[in-house]
Amino acid sequence: MNAMPDSMAAARLDAILSVSDLSVRFGALMAVNGVSFDARRGEITSVIGPNGAGKSTLFNLVSGAIRPSAGRVVFDGQELTGSPPHQMLGAGLARSFQITNLFFELSVRENLRLAAQFLEQGRGLLRPVASSRVAQQRVDELIERFRLERKQDELAGFLSHGEQRRLEIAVALAARPRMLLLDEPTQGMSHADTQETGEMIRSLAADSLSILLVEHDVDLVMSLSDHVVVMHQGQKLAEGSPQQVRSNPAVQSAYFGDAAHA
Amino acid sequence: MREMTVEPMVLSPSVTGRLLRHPIRSLAWLFFGLALLFAVVAGIQGDVFFFRLATESLIFGGLALSVDLLLGRTGLLPLGQALFFGFGAYVSALVLKQGLPSFWLAMAVVLVSTTLVGLVAGMIAIRAKGVYFALISFGLAQVVSKVVFNTRELGASDGIIGVPVPQISFGFFTVDAASPGGFFLLVLCFSAALYAVLAYLMETPFGRQLAAVRANEHRVPFLGFDPWRYKLAAFVLAANVAGLSGAFYPMLRGFVSPELMFFQVSGNAVINVIVGGTGTLIGAFYGSAVLTVLRSVVGSFTAHHQIVIGVVFMVSVIFFPKGLIGHGVAALTRWQSRKEGA
Repeated sequence: MNAMPDSMAAARLDAILSVSDLSVRFGALMAVNGVSFDARRGEITSVIGPNGAGKSTLFNLVSGAIRPSAGRVVFDGQELTGSPPHQMLGAGLARSFQITNLFFELSVRENLRLAAQFLEQGRGLLRPVASSRVAQQRVDELIERFRLERKQDELAGFLSHGEQRRLEIAVALAARPRMLLLDEPTQGMSHADTQETGEMIRSLAADSLSILLVEHDVDLVMSLSDHVVVMHQGQKLAEGSPQQVRSNPAVQSAYFGDAAHA
Repeated sequence: MREMTVEPMVLSPSVTGRLLRHPIRSLAWLFFGLALLFAVVAGIQGDVFFFRLATESLIFGGLALSVDLLLGRTGLLPLGQALFFGFGAYVSALVLKQGLPSFWLAMAVVLVSTTLVGLVAGMIAIRAKGVYFALISFGLAQVVSKVVFNTRELGASDGIIGVPVPQISFGFFTVDAASPGGFFLLVLCFSAALYAVLAYLMETPFGRQLAAVRANEHRVPFLGFDPWRYKLAAFVLAANVAGLSGAFYPMLRGFVSPELMFFQVSGNAVINVIVGGTGTLIGAFYGSAVLTVLRSVVGSFTAHHQIVIGVVFMVSVIFFPKGLIGHGVAALTRWQSRKEGA
């Protein structure tokens, strides 16, 4: 899918995220090189590829963690290319992290409250936190949904790995984003936890949240995704439905070939 | 790994007492209570020396409080906070001497001017992180103190002497800054107010965001907040607190000098915070009280009192890393649980 003329804009009306010709250069390395794809509203779009394919860099470009050298990121009609992360979140685009990135010395509740504070839209910034009702209510919802009731007053740093991964996603969801970027959500998880996380992602999408997923577990990706983008050496190798991607010979040699152990 | 069952919480917060829930606040009440007790005793004795010493300890405690806001609550180590303290002292001295000898005017001018200077200095210093922030704040204070040291209009190395002692009017009564007890109580009220404002702010979303910046600055932007703005706000607030504390200095001593901006003052403020308990806010006043008395007592025996302070600091960091308040809170918690057990 190359850059389309404006006359074809109608064809992607249901795209919530449009990435076009996105590139970033780290010194001599083109970590991401002219990647374009659309993620559709309410769908799960996944990015896969062997190690070093540029998946995480692509993710960082889309979430504003790093600025692209070229190309565009349009989210829900808003030009967000090169915007800092807090503006990305303000536009409705949230992300989680592959390496758990929480406030380890703060309680589980406080982690969620900090993230839910965005819903207050700057109101009550100088009033006691307990008076931020909208945020507190959101925290209660998330604690219930992610089964953290018994851990809510513990420090995030004292949770088990699986609980931290759940909290990581709960924190990303707190501001009620319209799209969630999930970076390797099953990183380091047991098989059972991976299955459970898959179910959770499916239920999020069922609540009409659009999801962009970077994941190394190919089976999980194939069972979850509506649309799959395959990256290889910084470039897009293929995209399509899980079946189309799986049967693509270029994908098979570049990815499934040398990732046969997975 | 997974907790599928949901059990009621074993410990409800109501089981634990008020004291336990707010041990730091209890220690804050204790500090200001002890200060009042001291004032009564010293007042009956007709003391001057210890009133002056205690007032100085509160003034430098205010400076340390501003350091703790940055170091303990925002995760920024300021090595040049004396810049704002000295700036407040000079502005206060100039207003009292060249303008009107009005306490309220001096405080108002200091508040406005430290906000402006804090904004400019903050925009320079906040750009940098970690040790670079520390070095830039240090450098800014060095530059300004040298400029003041070489400016004849500001009295150069002599500073400004002969600052008139203001009468501080509260409408229905007046405090004479020359009265040791009266001025001590005034500074005590201001110190308590500064502490109360910061302690309140720390429990608002604003203050909690600062804690988030301190805990993991990299995640904050992904929650929709620009950490830069919060750090700048904390920096300006710290400049206000340091400047307002410094504004009392010429009222107490009758002079200001460039030494007020020197590194020794900035460094002592950091030491006061660490000895008192980083991040506790009230620890700044405890640390300042202990170390001011220590400096004065040891200083009356030897001119090398900084050696003693240095040793106290090292011993404190090694054996009491949580500071006086950190260990005080632990002791209070033990006492409380023993009382409940009995």
